Amino acid sequence: MISLSNINKEYKLDHDVVFHALKNITLTIKEGEFVAIVGPSGSGKSTLMHIIGLLDEPSSGTISFGNQQISKVTDDTLSTLRSEIVGFVFQQFNLINKLTILENILLPTVYARKKLDFNPEEKAHYLIKRFGLEGKERSYPNKISGGQQQRVAIARALIMNPKFILADEPTGNLDTKTGKEIIKLLTELNQQEKITIVLVTHDPTIALLARRTIKIRDGEIV
Amino acid sequence: MNYILFAIRSALADFARNKGRTLLTSLGILIGVLAVVLLTAFGLGLKRYIGNQFESLGANLMIIMPGKKETMMRGGGLMGGIKFDEKDATKLARIKNITHLAPMFAKSAANISANGKTEIIDVIASNEEVSAVMNLEIEEGRLLEKRDIQKGAKVLVIASTYAKKFYPTVSEALGKSLDIEGQSFKIIGITKSKGGGGMGGDVDANVYVPFKSTVVFNPEKKYFAIYFKVDNKENIPAVTEEVKKILGKRYDKDAFSVMEQTELMNSISSIFNIVNTVLIAIAAISLVVGGIGIMNIMYVTVTERIKEIGIRRALGARKNDILLLFLVEAIILSVLGGLLGLLLSYAIVLLIQPLFPAYIDISAVILALGVSSLIGIVFGVFPAKKAADLSPIDAIRYE
Repeated sequence: MISLSNINKEYKLDHDVVFHALKNITLTIKEGEFVAIVGPSGSGKSTLMHIIGLLDEPSSGTISFGNQQISKVTDDTLSTLRSEIVGFVFQQFNLINKLTILENILLPTVYARKKLDFNPEEKAHYLIKRFGLEGKERSYPNKISGGQQQRVAIARALIMNPKFILADEPTGNLDTKTGKEIIKLLTELNQQEKITIVLVTHDPTIALLARRTIKIRDGEIV
Repeated sequence: MNYILFAIRSALADFARNKGRTLLTSLGILIGVLAVVLLTAFGLGLKRYIGNQFESLGANLMIIMPGKKETMMRGGGLMGGIKFDEKDATKLARIKNITHLAPMFAKSAANISANGKTEIIDVIASNEEVSAVMNLEIEEGRLLEKRDIQKGAKVLVIASTYAKKFYPTVSEALGKSLDIEGQSFKIIGITKSKGGGGMGGDVDANVYVPFKSTVVFNPEKKYFAIYFKVDNKENIPAVTEEVKKILGKRYDKDAFSVMEQTELMNSISSIFNIVNTVLIAIAAISLVVGGIGIMNIMYVTVTERIKEIGIRRALGARKNDILLLFLVEAIILSVLGGLLGLLLSYAIVLLIQPLFPAYIDISAVILALGVSSLIGIVFGVFPAKKAADLSPIDAIRYE
């Protein structure tokens, strides 16, 4: 489903110094998989995440989602693809504090280019119920707990029916117990609803919960 | 279109959260629009007022004044120079096509009092022809007559609006006396008001008295100007030549000028136009300053919201979506200031109208709203572009 082949990412630092963040990365993630990408900081896992999440483009190599191959596209196309393909869950939750929970969940639909084949409000309410956030629709993110905020973020990630969820250290800002609950939720989504999940983490214990682990070090898969 | 509505709603919500900042930022535009609209309103009012004043004097009115026409056109030469006398008036009155001729002496801004009230009015001392020359129409009593002039009787004719400032009604004022700088005059006639505001130069703000009655103010018995009417517009050039020939025998040809009232009106309004345009241009600078204020606050807003921009970009917002979000905000800020400025100028114009004929026309409204949205766009586009061009990765990581 997600297929990367010979992905390289280079950054020009000073004059002639080039930093190879990613070296010849080739990997495939199948539909319905729960994959963890692990590696220490500076390993290139964030760069890889940005490329898989369509926030950045590789210097060379190809990336494809299903039969949709993405290379050398405009910034606008990349934005549209992000809206249709990826659902992000971040370590910092990254909810917009001045928007209500409901508005936050609905935000991706505002930027959708294609005609939606579902009613956004209905779907948002369904997700709110599904994640035990009833009664919080009109609350603001800074008025609810971290665990609840992360559940709002997951609801937001799911509203556009993305091809996969890209979770970047989703438990990093939570206590152990709440972190476990979030991982459990992601596992459930994967098992019950066959949602593809790519989890990026530096924590091997969390990575163990995934069905497959991709280890990355110094820009290479090991 | 839907997205623009979304952007407007989210901008309004942001303003509601930052009321103080929003108002202060809009204040810059408010002051600019206020200044421009008010000055335009004053300029238009003044122009219309001058036009009305001249119109009320009727057609074919000519004026002989001391000084060169060219200097007069520039607003100078009204003071000093030669003065005319009875001999000039008598000679000129004999010109065939002149129907009425009124040599005038004016005691400007005289203190006039009666019934315990005082007003500042111009006193025009002339002959019985003055009523025809100045298009005076009687409302009550009678106009100045030849016998009043010959006797130098201490009588006067006043406009009804001014008569009412001293006495409760026009009929009550008739026959009563008015005190002009310590000299007592009897009101013999009250003329219909020609309308207009309360500024100097108002045709209503004159009292007309027989020339000889003012010797005490005018010991030399000289005239400052001679007004006359020509029977037909076509005769104006010929009459002008004749007047120049007659006066040219006594005075230097540059010492006096003969003008048609429309000519005088044009020269006066062109002076006002220049002054007004310069004033509006100066006021427009404050609009630019207001725009810079908006630009400044928009840069602050963009910096404060970098993370939010990153989040929106990650969720699929395109560069233009972000650009529009901030541009709409800048335009609303600016138009809000423009609207408030317009409302305030409207209120001020309403308050001031009894004293000055200022008025706001549709062009001022379009100008205010057009200019303020233009300022929003011009000064909003740079911060908005900065926001749109942020890299999503850097933005979302920003703390």
